[in-house]
Amino acid sequence: MTLMNCLILAFLLFGIGVWGLIHRRHLVGMLISMELMLNAANINFISFAYFTASDSTAGALFSIFVIAVTACEMAIALAIVVSMYRRYKSLDVEQLRDLHD
Amino acid sequence: MSYIPNYIIPDLLLLILPFLVIGSRLFVKDNSKIPWRIANIGLVLIFALLNFIPLAGGSRFFINNWNVSDFGILMREVLVLSAILGVWLSKDYFNHGGDGKPAMNQIAEFIGTIAFATFGGITVISACDLLTFFLGLEIATIPMYALTAWNKRDQLGSEAATKYILMGSVATAFELFGFSYLYGFAGTIRFDAIQTAASNPNPLLWIAILFLFCGIGFKLTLFPFYTWAPDVYEGAPTPVTAVLSVTSKATAIAFLVMLVYGPLAPVREQIAPLIALLAGVTLFVGNLGALKQSRLRRFMAYSSIAQAGYIMIALLGDSAMAKTAIIYYLFVYALSNYLAFFVFGIIGHHREESFDSLRGLSKQNVSLAVALAVAMFSLAGIPPLAGFFGKFHLFFSGASTGHYGIVVFAVLNNVLALYYYLQVIKSAWADEADEHLTPLRMTRRQRWVIVLLTVAVILIGILPFLSNNVFAGFTF
Repeated sequence: MTLMNCLILAFLLFGIGVWGLIHRRHLVGMLISMELMLNAANINFISFAYFTASDSTAGALFSIFVIAVTACEMAIALAIVVSMYRRYKSLDVEQLRDLHD
Repeated sequence: MSYIPNYIIPDLLLLILPFLVIGSRLFVKDNSKIPWRIANIGLVLIFALLNFIPLAGGSRFFINNWNVSDFGILMREVLVLSAILGVWLSKDYFNHGGDGKPAMNQIAEFIGTIAFATFGGITVISACDLLTFFLGLEIATIPMYALTAWNKRDQLGSEAATKYILMGSVATAFELFGFSYLYGFAGTIRFDAIQTAASNPNPLLWIAILFLFCGIGFKLTLFPFYTWAPDVYEGAPTPVTAVLSVTSKATAIAFLVMLVYGPLAPVREQIAPLIALLAGVTLFVGNLGALKQSRLRRFMAYSSIAQAGYIMIALLGDSAMAKTAIIYYLFVYALSNYLAFFVFGIIGHHREESFDSLRGLSKQNVSLAVALAVAMFSLAGIPPLAGFFGKFHLFFSGASTGHYGIVVFAVLNNVLALYYYLQVIKSAWADEADEHLTPLRMTRRQRWVIVLLTVAVILIGILPFLSNNVFAGFTF
């Protein structure tokens, strides 16, 4: 296991997240894709902290903070998604067309 | 108990304020005015205290990790000013709704949320390491999602919030990925250490910069990532749109300034073409988009996209000059933008928020029409008003390092911008009045704020050297 392996894993995970975000038409699916992207960044932090960084505590701490912040963000996102669901009775993003040029 | 320096007090007060405002609801009746009064006194007090902090030059550090620089103090003033005006603008939306939407409720929590977002902006400008920086940006953004969806009974509001949070979280992910590479590149999260390491760049740094600019591009509504802005600006409640267009934009600009003149300072020359390209395309797209709008808030969204492009140009200059130009322009932009939103708000309380509702405004209510004209001329940058000097300094900062191409392009674009700002004025002054429009009424607060803002916009333009603070950094 080298640094390169970890970075490639993180990059792939990030790519999968972006791909999912573009192709998923379901709100919760999109949120999960987002979570993948954020966790890819976490893997980056941890692997840099483990392999190269001079200040390795910072990287490890950073990822813990990221997890907490992501939880806040997802709490708000899910609240908004629930209010969307109450309105439209489905979670398909294709319905988001009331606002347009 | 350890010693608390003076310059940290406004920050602490701002941190306590939302808890006070929301907490006070536990002890008072539902329709009590006490939370609203606490919020007003608190915010104005914080703004006044900020003005007492002397601009000493250099940075002051609190527990080694909270940097109160001169730029930071002025930026705090912009953010708190934006919060005050946002709170004043929002008050009437809790009595009766605007733009065909139902009235909002829970004013205490609303004000608290705005204060939290403001504190997030302050955290961004006080940061000395990537972690604080990231947390600040998140504290500034997450309340905005909630504010956009504040009106639960409004369908467009929840749609706008969904779009905003999807786009915003993607931006966060990109930014975080950029931060992780920056950490990997430098091996530390301290800004000064990253700056030292950036003197010998390697590919990892360039990838990090690319990701960071993607991330902040979303927040600052730069060219390929601006698409969410018009939808969100239109769907959100009007006061939230105003807060979004000033606080959120100021935070994003502060983020870029901190980054470009902090950790990335050694490679600033190399990323200048990227900044120039983003700025040019953004202001062009913003201006083109604004040309064909018929609804006022969508129009303001494109206008603010273009303004973001103009502000980016200043980032091409040297540190002191760019920071001064950006701060001055942010003051001007905040005042002009809020003035426009106050006028639109009054119109929206009685009519639909569209260009047609402005018709014959000069005959029905001259003072409103004058205020609107002042706001639009200032945003367009017509000489006697504040906007002109703001734009002048932005362009001056860009030109001072020899980026004449982008400055010429921006000035030409300003002509395009003048066209659509003039269209608003034409609707208000030249078009015949429509008999079917409901008459407009103003509350006393609205009238006072509009007079105050109009005078401020004119005064800052006429006496640009009135404030030594703002111009302390200028070299000519």
